[in-house]
Amino acid sequence: MAAITVRGLVKTFQTKRKAAGLGGSLRSLFQPEYATVEAVRGISFEMEPGELLGFIGPNGAGKSTTIKMLTGILHPTAGEAEVLGYCPWRERQKLAHQIGTVFGQRPQLWYHLPALDTFILFGKIYDLSDAETRRRIDLLAEAFEIRDLLETPVRKLSLGQRMRCEVAASLLHRPKLLLLDEPSIGLDVVAKQHIRDAIRTMSREEGVGVLLTSHDAGDLEALCHRVIIVHHGQIVYQDKVSNLKRKFLTRKTVEVRYAGEVRQDFRLEGMRTLKTGRYGVKLEFDTQQTPADAVLARLSAAGTLVDITISDPPLEEVIARIYESAATEVG
Amino acid sequence: MKKYWAIFKLQLANGLAYPGEFIGRSLMILPFMWIFYQLWRVTFEASASTEINGLTLQHTLWYLVIAEVIELSRPRVANTISDAVKDGSIAHILSKPYSFLGYHYSSSMADTVFRALLNLVLGGGMAWLLVGPPPSLWGFVVVLPLLLGAWALNYCIAALIGLLAFWVEDISAFQWIYQKLAFILGGLLIPLNFYPTWLRTIAEALPFSAMTYAPASLFVSPTLNGFLTAAGLQLLWLLLFVGGLGLLYRRSVTVLTVNGG
Repeated sequence: MAAITVRGLVKTFQTKRKAAGLGGSLRSLFQPEYATVEAVRGISFEMEPGELLGFIGPNGAGKSTTIKMLTGILHPTAGEAEVLGYCPWRERQKLAHQIGTVFGQRPQLWYHLPALDTFILFGKIYDLSDAETRRRIDLLAEAFEIRDLLETPVRKLSLGQRMRCEVAASLLHRPKLLLLDEPSIGLDVVAKQHIRDAIRTMSREEGVGVLLTSHDAGDLEALCHRVIIVHHGQIVYQDKVSNLKRKFLTRKTVEVRYAGEVRQDFRLEGMRTLKTGRYGVKLEFDTQQTPADAVLARLSAAGTLVDITISDPPLEEVIARIYESAATEVG
Repeated sequence: MKKYWAIFKLQLANGLAYPGEFIGRSLMILPFMWIFYQLWRVTFEASASTEINGLTLQHTLWYLVIAEVIELSRPRVANTISDAVKDGSIAHILSKPYSFLGYHYSSSMADTVFRALLNLVLGGGMAWLLVGPPPSLWGFVVVLPLLLGAWALNYCIAALIGLLAFWVEDISAFQWIYQKLAFILGGLLIPLNFYPTWLRTIAEALPFSAMTYAPASLFVSPTLNGFLTAAGLQLLWLLLFVGGLGLLYRRSVTVLTVNGG
């Protein structure tokens, strides 16, 4: 049985519209105008137990709204969803026992108290025995490297430290599924890496499925097996991350350094020079137009190679291209 | 129940994180009691009698202590709910295995109990100095269950107002109206004993008097009959409000839109 099954999920809501200035305010008092916002427009997908699924999209794409429907916080306008066998919005409390949630921008830890207090509270809320709560806190403190942070009031923690505590707290009751809404938002590179490593480890060791929303392609690359890309409330792409890379990462960058000075014209069909120097060159080529061996043959013929680096473009770029093509199709 | 008790205890600890703020706010009762004392002392002197409509100055001041304790410590959950809807932090409450209304009841009652104790010590201490001890020790026995009933009623009304935030952007107008009605019809500033009969009859038929007047007046003049009537009235209103709150909550969650995605 799939961990999550979603069919034709739709969420629309009304927002009040008001012209600027005092006149606009007065008019809206007597003749309020409402605009219908379609946040999610018929999303369907499945997620297997233990899978790490990335839900990627730009701001306002409908990622958070979808995750909030899947946790039972929001009721959909139309469509069906089943999460671990429950209808989230009809069986919210039953489902809550089986899932862990983190909403990156909204802390769940009690702000003025040490994180340990929230962990103990969660133990009671999820009906864990005191001994089990202690065991879990111990294990999570190790996995997330937060042992020294647990007794510090949450308000005194850095954002990265707090997020590690947030994610650890969401795993206290051994959920089968972790729903993470922007877990890496606002974090620096090191803090992001910390969080990703810990999530990956816990997912592997406890078999917990992870559905994470992010607009950071790095989360996807580091954590996820599969990706769903949403744009304007619709799914524009879903596939394995490895397939995404194979299909869209055809553009490679190659940088070479020679033993001596080179004065060569590296022009070849499908190849673009990005930077040239006296001892080296940086080029970009498309493997579908120019085979890699042709590029390498051309480069090695130019002189004695001392160093060569071939790299993929950042995933952000790839995803931006998918958004653009989706926007063109939708528009 | 265990989880709600844990929420109550943690919120109590949260309050203790900033004791200065709580104590500072509770000091407000001191000038209030001083002004009430001056006002009623002059009134009793002007009437040239020690008793007006069955209340002495000592009764009146102790009545006002309890009325103020109820008012100053009532659960302020309307703003809490409204803020949670506006800033999206409601997502965390709704993603946990507890009742939304139960969570807010437990956490707001922790603040209430904390404030009530401070206000009772400060306000009661001042009244004791000005007019002597409470008229009857039985008053404490009677007032305790009635206080719980009064706060439960207060919670229901405040939560009903808070839930309006699911529909309207600003609930402060509703809060203002409720507060003023509670002031006037609950007998917060003037005991209902001093009201004209017609207004007192209306006030006694409304929930506000069950929240303030009934516990405060029974504290100074405890009777078994009075207690049973007040407790019955509170129970009746509670049944009505709990039902209404449940209905409104079920409707509210279906229209929730969380700000900020």
